[in-house]
This record gives sequence, C-alpha cells and structure tokens, in this order.
Amino acid sequence: MSEQKVITLICERACDLDSVCNDKGEVKEVDGLHVVKLPCSGMIQPLMIEAAMKAGAAGVIVTGCQIGDCYYREGNRMIRERLLGQRPPGLKKTVDRQRVLALWLSRPQKDRFLSEAKEFVAFVRQLPTPPPAAAKPAAK
Amino acid sequence: MYTSIPKGLTDLTLAIEKGTNAVISNRYNPFYYHGALPQFYLWVLFLSGLLLFAYYIPTIDNAYFSANLVNAWTSVDYITDKLPMGAVIRGIHRYAGDAMVITIVLHALRVWVTDRYRQYRWIQWVSGIVLLLMVLFVGQTGYYLVWDERSLVLTRMTVSAFDAVPFIGPGLKTWFLNGTAITNLTLSNFLFIHIGLSFTLLFGLWVHYVRMTRPVITPPPAINYMLMAILLVVVFAYPITSGKMADINSAPTSFDIDWFFLFPYWLMAKVDLTTYWVLMVGATVGLCLVPLPSLYKAANPIEAAEVVLSKCTGCSLCSKDCPYQAIEMVPAPAGSRFKLLATVKPYRCSGCGVCVGACAFDAIDLPNLLDTDVTAQIRAMAEAKPN
Repeated sequence: MSEQKVITLICERACDLDSVCNDKGEVKEVDGLHVVKLPCSGMIQPLMIEAAMKAGAAGVIVTGCQIGDCYYREGNRMIRERLLGQRPPGLKKTVDRQRVLALWLSRPQKDRFLSEAKEFVAFVRQLPTPPPAAAKPAAK
Repeated sequence: MYTSIPKGLTDLTLAIEKGTNAVISNRYNPFYYHGALPQFYLWVLFLSGLLLFAYYIPTIDNAYFSANLVNAWTSVDYITDKLPMGAVIRGIHRYAGDAMVITIVLHALRVWVTDRYRQYRWIQWVSGIVLLLMVLFVGQTGYYLVWDERSLVLTRMTVSAFDAVPFIGPGLKTWFLNGTAITNLTLSNFLFIHIGLSFTLLFGLWVHYVRMTRPVITPPPAINYMLMAILLVVVFAYPITSGKMADINSAPTSFDIDWFFLFPYWLMAKVDLTTYWVLMVGATVGLCLVPLPSLYKAANPIEAAEVVLSKCTGCSLCSKDCPYQAIEMVPAPAGSRFKLLATVKPYRCSGCGVCVGACAFDAIDLPNLLDTDVTAQIRAMAEAKPN
C-alpha cells in the first residue's frame, strides 16, 4: 500500500522543484512522488488526472502559481475552476475528490510544497481502496 | 522559465507579492491589478477634468471682458479660491495625473521584471510606450493651461524645441501655438490638445487591450477606495497653488519642477536641443525595441498550438479560454459533421497550453509537448513498480 504513486502536475514557473528532484522527475525526499512539468498549470486536462487515477496513482497534486499571478494571465485560475466544476471540461464525478490536492505556490515556495506534499501523500496512502465515491471539494 | 531577467529580481517580486497575499489575500493584492491602477486614475482624471472644464476660460487677456481682467489664470484662481471644493477638485486632477504616471511606471516595471513583455506581447509593450508618451504630453499641456509664469516658460521651451526639429519644425511650432505667437488662440489650442489627446488615450488603450481576452481593467472597489484615499490625503496635505500670472512681456527663467511630467524640460535645460531630441527619440525607439521577437526567438522558441482537424468538434471552449485571442472559430469545411472548426493564429499564440487543458477531445496540441505524451508519461509513472 505504501508504495502507491502520487503524481504532481506542476507549472514550470510555479515553485521550483528542480533542486529536490532526481533526473527521472521523482522527489528525492518523498518515495513515489513523481513530478510532471508543464508550461502552465492551465494545460492540465482533467483527463490527465483521471488517467493517473486509473493507472493506479493514489493521488494527484496540481500545482500552479499563486492565484492572480499567472505568466500566461489566466492559466491557474482556469484549472482551479475546472477542478471546482465551474468551468468545462470538469473532473468526472467518479474521481475521488479527496485524492486531488491543488496548491498555488510561487517559485520560491519549495519548502511549503514539500511539507504539504508529504502530508498529502501520507493521507492518500492510508485511504481505503477501492476509494469510496466521496464528493468533497477538491481545491484547497 | 524566466530566462532573460535577473533571477533575483523576479524572485524578489514574487516574494513581495507572496507577503502581500499573506496580509490582504490574493483578491485584493494591488500587484495583481497593476495594469488597472492607471486606468482607475484615468477615470478620476476624466471626471475631475470635466468639473474643471466647466469653469476654465482659455484666454490670456481681456478678449471678451472689459471691466476686470479675466483669463486662464484668474479662472483657475477663481476655481481654487472661490468655488466650494474647487481647490480639492483641482488638487485631485493634478495629483491623479502624477499618480497615473507612477502607476504606469510601476506597471511597466512589473511587466519587465516578471518577463511578460516580449514576443507575442510586443504590441502591448509598444502601445504602452506610446500611451506613456501621450500621457506625459497631455500632462504637460495641463501645466500650460494654468497660465502662470511656469506655463509661460514651458510654452517657450516647447516652442524652441519644436522649432529645432528638422523639416517639420516650423509646422509643429505653428500647430502648437495656433499661429505664430502666443495669443488667446494658443490657450484654446492647448485646451483642445489637453482634452482631445486624453480622449485619444481611449483609442490607444483599445490597441493596448485588443489581443487580450478578459483584460483586467477595473480593480476591486476596495482597492479603488484605497487609491482614492491616498489621493485625498496628498490633496489635503499639499494643496496646489499657482505661481504668479504669466506676463508675455516678462521673461521668467526658473520654475518649480514636477518630476513626473516635466523631467524632459529639465533635460532640455541641461543640453542643447539637438542632443535633447536625439536622446528622447533614441530612448523611445530603444524602449520599443526591447520586446523585439527575434531577440528572444532562439532562447525561447514558441511552438504555436495546432488543431487536430479530425478531432475538433467546434465546441469553442479553447477559443473562449485562450488568454491571447489566438484561437478563432471558423465555419467547418464542407462534409464535416460539425458547424465550427478552431483555428490558431500562430503569431498570437504564446504556447501556454491553456487550450489543451480546455479541450475534452484531445483535439488541440502543443507540437513540442503532446498531451498524449504527457498522459502516457503519467500512466508510466503511476504504474511503475518501486525499485
């Protein structure tokens, strides 16, 4: 159970994880926490989150810049609204909302990311599988 | 990534904004409305200017009145001394102009520090510089309108500067003075330039906003109240006064300088006119060249998004979400099952991928980062066995 992966989908301008990742995109400090970099968090498709869950990931962390500050103007707001179901396309109802964490961190906030991610990884790994279809709000 | 800017400067800005967020939350962080702040002051200027316009008389002598001297200076004096709240409105009009220049400069600085000025954004940068020049000139004409001794010096300096321009110099001078010498017609021309050009700002702002979807042009009311409060504090703390009335037959030589609008005159007094124009034009052209796309192409190639024609259903979600108006919905080709088809204008595309996130049909892609590849990578990561 404790080996279940957690995938981080992150904007390359949000908190800078280069120094804490190994060359395969895995956070060194947290076992099984993988990082996928995208040009903007607005590029994250809800489909990608569903794909990660389907492939057996325990949870997904979505990370963008601070809300209000997007290099491409509106990307982080859009993915937040998509996660909250306020903008199409949204996340399928079958996706367990407890297993999605959204963090809005600017580039210098690496430590905040690590502490939040550790907590989240521990939390999703102790959740029972198959996950009950609880409908909790996704974004923090 | 932020490649062409000193990294420390960007980090410092982000850290300051983070601190501001912690105190007053993202929603009311003025850093996130930096472009809307000058726009707010523009409305303040329009409104206070309208009130001043009702009492302002653009003449320099008794052209129409015989009993007492009535001219621009006395009408401004009347507004300041006799009209209830006249001095406050005048102060607001003056200091809102200063505040507008300050906020424009801060806006430009933040845009530069956070690396948001180049390539697909060049039109915003260049139009912003033109707008700043227009604002400066509008503000300077405002200083001529008061018609105190400073106005006279400024007018004469401007005339000599225009006169020194090759070929079009004499024409510029005649246009500026509305004749060959300072007369009543000169002041009405100043008033026309002051008001006409400030409305032309709206056209410039249209160009400034045209490629942006949902431009942020209005700060939340809470920020507006704060901006207004700051303005009023300055208005009451430092009331505006005119200098002595201008006398055409005198030759005043010095004046108090307003650094926000009148710094070109400081330069004009220091160097000869040819150097002055070379410096001013050089600085403007130099600033306009800062975002030149070819300077950044090698370091930051932008691959415009591409539509997968066979998959696009014409739902127009990408076109609505695109932050740069780069996606246009066109009628679908004959034989298609759908009515519309998304098309990308590559010169507007920033390659951010927001459209990819907006598409539920995998029908739009960044050529250098296919969403199928990202999904495959995610799957591989999630399924990988621990080593």
